[in-house]
Amino acid sequence: MPALAETYSLGVPVAISSIDQELKKLWQESAGAMTRASLMNLAVYSEEPGSLEKNTQLIAKITENHACRAIVIEADCKAKENSVDAWISAHCHVSGVGSKQVCSEQISFLLKGACTTLLPNMVFSHLDSDLPFYLWWQEEFREPMDPQLWAWVDRVIYDSQAWKDFRAQMRLVESAEQDAKQRIVLCDLNWTRLDNARSALAQFFDHPAAHHHFAKIRKVRVDFAPGFRSTAVLFAGWLAAQLNWRSEEADVANKLAFVRSSGRKIDVELRERSGEPICELAIETPDVEFLVTHAKCGDLLEVSREKPGEKHVPQLMPAAKNDLVSLMGEELMRGGPHHVYLHAVNCVRDLL
Amino acid sequence: MNRAADQPEPNPLREGLSIRPVPQPCSIVIFGATGDLTHRKLIPALYNLAADGDLPPAVAIVGFARRKKSDDEFRRDLEEATRKFSRQGVRDEIWKRFAQSIFYHQSEFEDESGYKSLATRLDEIDKNSGTRGNRLFYLAVAPDQFEPILKHLKAAGLNDTCKGSWARIIAEKPFGTDLASARELNRIVRNSFSEEQTYRIDHFLGKETAQNILVLRFANAIFAPLWNTHYVDHVQITAAETLGVGTRAGFYERAGALRDMVQNHLLQLLCLVAMEPPTDLAADSIRDEKVKVVRSLRRWSRNEIAANVVRGQYTAGAIHGDPVVGYRQEQNVNPDSRTETFVALRLFIDDWRWADVPIYLRVGKRLPKSATEISIHFKKAPAVLFNKDLHDVNVLVIRIQPDEGISLRIHAKVPGTSFRIDPVKMDFHYGTSFGKASPEAYERLLLDAMSGDATLFARRDEVEQAWAFIDPIEEAWHAKKDVPELFFYPAGSWGPEAADDLLARDGRAWRRL
Repeated sequence: MPALAETYSLGVPVAISSIDQELKKLWQESAGAMTRASLMNLAVYSEEPGSLEKNTQLIAKITENHACRAIVIEADCKAKENSVDAWISAHCHVSGVGSKQVCSEQISFLLKGACTTLLPNMVFSHLDSDLPFYLWWQEEFREPMDPQLWAWVDRVIYDSQAWKDFRAQMRLVESAEQDAKQRIVLCDLNWTRLDNARSALAQFFDHPAAHHHFAKIRKVRVDFAPGFRSTAVLFAGWLAAQLNWRSEEADVANKLAFVRSSGRKIDVELRERSGEPICELAIETPDVEFLVTHAKCGDLLEVSREKPGEKHVPQLMPAAKNDLVSLMGEELMRGGPHHVYLHAVNCVRDLL
Repeated sequence: MNRAADQPEPNPLREGLSIRPVPQPCSIVIFGATGDLTHRKLIPALYNLAADGDLPPAVAIVGFARRKKSDDEFRRDLEEATRKFSRQGVRDEIWKRFAQSIFYHQSEFEDESGYKSLATRLDEIDKNSGTRGNRLFYLAVAPDQFEPILKHLKAAGLNDTCKGSWARIIAEKPFGTDLASARELNRIVRNSFSEEQTYRIDHFLGKETAQNILVLRFANAIFAPLWNTHYVDHVQITAAETLGVGTRAGFYERAGALRDMVQNHLLQLLCLVAMEPPTDLAADSIRDEKVKVVRSLRRWSRNEIAANVVRGQYTAGAIHGDPVVGYRQEQNVNPDSRTETFVALRLFIDDWRWADVPIYLRVGKRLPKSATEISIHFKKAPAVLFNKDLHDVNVLVIRIQPDEGISLRIHAKVPGTSFRIDPVKMDFHYGTSFGKASPEAYERLLLDAMSGDATLFARRDEVEQAWAFIDPIEEAWHAKKDVPELFFYPAGSWGPEAADDLLARDGRAWRRL
């Protein structure tokens, strides 16, 4: 393969036992024209038929900014026959510096039948050593959670937006984390979706002189797109966790109620309307309204504070994109634990 | 690095977010607003900050310059420049809003009334735009303009602020031409602004790799035990450029490479490499350690200078195969000029950590390639077993620009039945590993100044100590007798042979870049 162009195909079919040799050959044939780069192992697991091709396309885009060894797995647990097929490929792009191609390698597996239990072995035997291991789990979690697999994972990435039962799923993830006896960082793409909105709102309060508004918040409004109620609830959970609000039972649908330590109540209204996952946020105090809304041009947020007698000075900030490549890109840029996420979840666990 | 003392309360909504807090609303007044720096660097940097959501919601940029221009004309000029020089494409909707915050104020720098009207205008902007009386003054002008500007700023009361607001000044290099002029400049600045209000910019420190030197040294336990005289044989720092003097001949003729590059950029890099670990990441903790390095540089007597410093000037030659003229044939250069376009120095830091470790610096114009690199050359392993004939075994290279990254050279056995050993390189490239483009140095530094974080800016004593080291060399070069030789080198070469001899005398050689 002398000149590897970007490809969305699964690449060269290989025998499982010769994956390493075939990968070596792949790089030798490039004759130094390409640089192999890898910052992490990224394993992607899905049971959706056709997911290998779909995830290959995603990996091709993700590796433009995040060099990794990708291990893409599609499992068909219900198949009667037992089989394992494997492919190797490379995703190359021209680096920002010079004209050399920077490439990430991908190993793809299609597991069928009982051999899906081989998942940990497939993953372990093809990890690039000493690099962190990110597992992107695209399915709902189910028991038994294989402790052998989880003990190796540094960061598990999932999207709680599609979960049918948040509490049950979270319980499984947390128990897997405990059984693994190591600190797995839980990375929820549903939380990542909130990053830019959280930044946009946070900037109102960067100066300590603005902190007094926290104690005066009486109403929060979150407008969300159909299917993203859990994103909106997580947002409310974040505010509650960071500002020390306690959840109270609300008697009206689409309303959440919180109370701060002083006893003062805060109403959170959740409104469903078409648009971006989180279309608009508003925080009200008796004097000021802090507003974050999507600008008309789409991928920008407009932030402003409305105060009687004060000039309206809206500002544009980058908005998050709700596609998987952007969300994964954001998530892979971070390091460290997601304490704030866990605090937010704990505040609204029963409401999700 | 650290937030300023005037913002001590953390924002609970910032916890866990990867984007840093936005600075307080402010007005940025740029003196020298029609100049190259404003168009090529400052406005593109501010636009990029706006596009990334890093600017405060209320910000105003006021260009102060002599030429007559309306706000709209100024905005049009800046838009054209930003489209040309910005690291990311200009989006119309962002530019449109950003441009609304740009204003032009026409005045001579010496005209007191121009500053009074500036004060009135800034008050109006505060009222209309919510910039809350915070002011950042950027001196993008030659140092001889500092005095009238600062004097008039003070007279107009613009150095002072009401309670809860701030006023800061950013001074561009060169900060003086020798110790006396640097002290004089510091005095002039201090007459109007305190040291805490003063930010002396050195854009090298805003570069990602320069900041990464501290991370490399103090976040990786493997290097700390080796980073001293016991294990380091010598250090080299090179700042090479293919460019000639270009349009800067007027300035360069007076400055030369030693003042233009060594006094600031190279000594700053040396400080980051050689400093002791600071007690914390506060601006003054880091700067305290940096200044100790400069203070510990061994001073030479007049007759030692020729043996430790080599100066050179390029003659006609070729760059990338194209013929180029010699320095003396460049436009606006004296045909008999003795200005150095190349300097190589052999330094010693007389402290416990670096005793007897030579540090070699070289900087030059019209060299074969443009590259700024630091290399740490470790000592050889004991000369038994494999090390009898090996030279310069382990080298850690920190590439500042271009292709920022770090590499480590080690020796490895060549496959085969005999014990043949060859050097191999482990290489980390920012561009390969992290796809995301780093912000430009000026973006980082402008944001830091707005946030009141002076970590990446030079302090008064750092600047003065650096000049105290440089001055004896300049004095020797400009003495009436026993003047160290000015060597000549053809453009496109790695400098005069005397620079190679400087290391060859110690049994060493410049690293091949």
